[in-house]
Amino acid sequence: MSDVTRSMEATSGSAAARVAARRAAFPNGLWGIYLLIATEGALFGCLIATYFYLRFQSTDWPLGGIEPPDVTVPLILAGALALTSIPMLGASLAAQAGRARAAWVFIFVALVVQSGYFAYEMHSFRSDLSDFRPEDNAYGSIYYTLLGADHAHVFIGMLLNVWLLARLLGGLTNYRVIGVRAISWYWHFANLMTLFVVGTLLSASA
Amino acid sequence: MAIGVSTPEARRRIGRLERIWEEPSGLVGWLTTTDHKRIGLLYFFTTLFFFGAGGVEALLMRTQLIGPDAGVLSPEAYNQLFTMHGVTMIFLVVIPMSTGAFGNYLVPLMIGARDMAFPRMNAVGYWIYAASGIFIYVGLFIGRAPNAGWFDYVPLASKEFNPSMGIDFYALGLLFLGVSTTMVAINFIVTIFKLRAPGMSLNRLPLFCYAFLAVSFALVFALPPLNTALVFLELDRLAGFHFYDVAFGGDSLLWQHLFWIFGHPEVYIIILPAFGIATSIIPTFSRRKMVAYPFVAIAEVLVAFIGFGVWAHHMFAVGLATVTAVYFAAASLIIVIPSAIQLFAWITTLVTGRPRFATPLLFIVGFIVFFIIGGLSGIMFAAIPFDQQTTDTYFVVAHFHFVIFGAAMFPLLGGMYYWFPKVTGRMYYERFGQASFWLTFVGSALTFFPMHIVGLLGMPRRVYTYPDDLGWGAYNLSETIGSYVLGAGLVLILVNLTVSLFRGRPAGNDPWAGDTLEWSTTSPPPEYNYAVIPVVSSPYAMWDTEDREADARRLDRGELTLEEGHETVSTTAQDAVLDEVLEMPSESWSPLLVAVALSGFFALLLTEHFVAAGGFFGLTLIVIAAWHWQEPQEA
Repeated sequence: MSDVTRSMEATSGSAAARVAARRAAFPNGLWGIYLLIATEGALFGCLIATYFYLRFQSTDWPLGGIEPPDVTVPLILAGALALTSIPMLGASLAAQAGRARAAWVFIFVALVVQSGYFAYEMHSFRSDLSDFRPEDNAYGSIYYTLLGADHAHVFIGMLLNVWLLARLLGGLTNYRVIGVRAISWYWHFANLMTLFVVGTLLSASA
Repeated sequence: MAIGVSTPEARRRIGRLERIWEEPSGLVGWLTTTDHKRIGLLYFFTTLFFFGAGGVEALLMRTQLIGPDAGVLSPEAYNQLFTMHGVTMIFLVVIPMSTGAFGNYLVPLMIGARDMAFPRMNAVGYWIYAASGIFIYVGLFIGRAPNAGWFDYVPLASKEFNPSMGIDFYALGLLFLGVSTTMVAINFIVTIFKLRAPGMSLNRLPLFCYAFLAVSFALVFALPPLNTALVFLELDRLAGFHFYDVAFGGDSLLWQHLFWIFGHPEVYIIILPAFGIATSIIPTFSRRKMVAYPFVAIAEVLVAFIGFGVWAHHMFAVGLATVTAVYFAAASLIIVIPSAIQLFAWITTLVTGRPRFATPLLFIVGFIVFFIIGGLSGIMFAAIPFDQQTTDTYFVVAHFHFVIFGAAMFPLLGGMYYWFPKVTGRMYYERFGQASFWLTFVGSALTFFPMHIVGLLGMPRRVYTYPDDLGWGAYNLSETIGSYVLGAGLVLILVNLTVSLFRGRPAGNDPWAGDTLEWSTTSPPPEYNYAVIPVVSSPYAMWDTEDREADARRLDRGELTLEEGHETVSTTAQDAVLDEVLEMPSESWSPLLVAVALSGFFALLLTEHFVAAGGFFGLTLIVIAAWHWQEPQEA
């Protein structure tokens, strides 16, 4: 028994790093997030499939003379958000190496970009609502639902990052290392979904 | 053979484990429990309650249909009852009873673990299930139950044609329930992949667990389409969106696609646990190993996988393109193959073994008979012209009751008898058990078989009455008599098990000479399940006598007894090599509080108080944050 790791006893950065290096399989927390990503990915799959299902039922798209969305700004913003996967990956690697401060900084940098993205998107969402509304027709309905679902995922991710920043102030434990890794994966997923959602919505402009 | 407790050292270790794993007694213990066995029992009694409700709804409908032009129920009451009967039996009984009750109680025991991978998430899953069930039933009690059938087609379910709040109870209630079901599915997958006893590589996993693995993966991918459909429906109904409104560019067939992309995998989600129970009971009572173990394991997974490619056979009558319909017809034929593999394996195991026809096996034989009948009528629907002729007739009702009641519920009933001694430590009364089997078997046949004939004669489903001159009266009379016989059989099961709980003779650890690990521990199992984590070398761990004797010796030595804390082992996903020792969370109020806060959220959505609902959603997040602030090692 002495050669088996009691991983939850790792309550310092260095101990948590040793546990992470010694573990042969993915920890349960990562399995959990992978499966959450799978089911959420299926949800986005359904939303995006609905967009194209409704589009291919219609002779003109967007419906009702609504202007197709602008291309440039959403693409730049989505690209900026997607780049936050880099600091989130950095945070994950730093946490596994037992470096709490570096992980904190990486997450903070990511959160700043994510907050900027989210603030602009909220402004843009309100501006869109003054042009056309989800009650106007099926295009408006799927446009706002798809975008809203994506924004909700970004917002939840930001809350998770705030949570991590608060917890990492107390240093690293095995539990928190797994938390950083899991939330890092959540962000890779949320960023990928943002690219898919933006690509889907911008397809109306093609 | 069960692990013997022979030495003072072993007894001392067990005493320490009992202190570590002890939960609060009384009501507080049940409200805060994270023990998978207690949660399994909570699921079981709750599903039993809903089973009773769904059964009463069925009997009311059958009483209304006993003869032509009967006036027991009004048309609206009938609509609400058949909708609630379907919703109850599918969403609140069969799935939670199989996964929540049987799976929760048995999967950790069968794989040699001390709990599920995420014990607190397991508890929150139960409380959300219970809350969502009550949520849906509140609609019935205030006379606003859903009334558009369990698949709730639009535009009938749209605000314009169905302004009643009943549809909102349905849609929000199922969304609420979906949170729980997703949690349960994820928990099973991680538990089965990560918490298996050392040595239990994937090719030694009990077939019961393969079935639950397949079901859980199916749930992970099948629930999102349903949730999407339900969100669209509520956005249409509550916020004026137009997903299903043809006049504004929407499409009512979108609901049918999304619903059945969920709905057909759902059929296999319902029946796969039954397959798992059958593959547990058959080897034990045939006194031989399961024939074709790897093929059965692969077939269980294949059924779940192919189940995603057949949904449009529910839609042959809506005017799909021919090429689309032909594809789905072919896929519907292909799925017969893995089902048949399992059927042949069960029958061959029975025929080549030395079967002992005790009550659990009788229910499995009944299941095989009904599954063959339901399967054969199912294949017929792959023939598109036949399907178009029989759509929305009682022939369909006959088919899916043979599958859902006959094939999915019978193994659950058999499983109740099979594991009753393990859960309670007492034996049931065998003679009454056999009588209850024959009553339920004859009652089911009498209820559901004539529905084939009356369906072919043209009787549509979901009509609250029928005229005298169509020749349907005798068949309906038989069905109603059968339903009461069936009800009597179910009541006899309940009475038998209840009386046995108090007066049954002691069962001992392993009354059946069972093949899986749960029979190696005491009946009922202790909070920590196993005093020593078992080490496994075949799928029939209980029949490996040397391994179990080695467990007893390891208990003496204190090897893998994990008596330093609330612990279990984690192993590698494929080969089950010991990887780490996990500190498991213990009892907590957080799961119940999450369910209460989420109940507030859904109740306020229902009453269209959106800002207040947002407040309750925020409260849910705060409770979750508070819950995770305490890490397992601090608990």
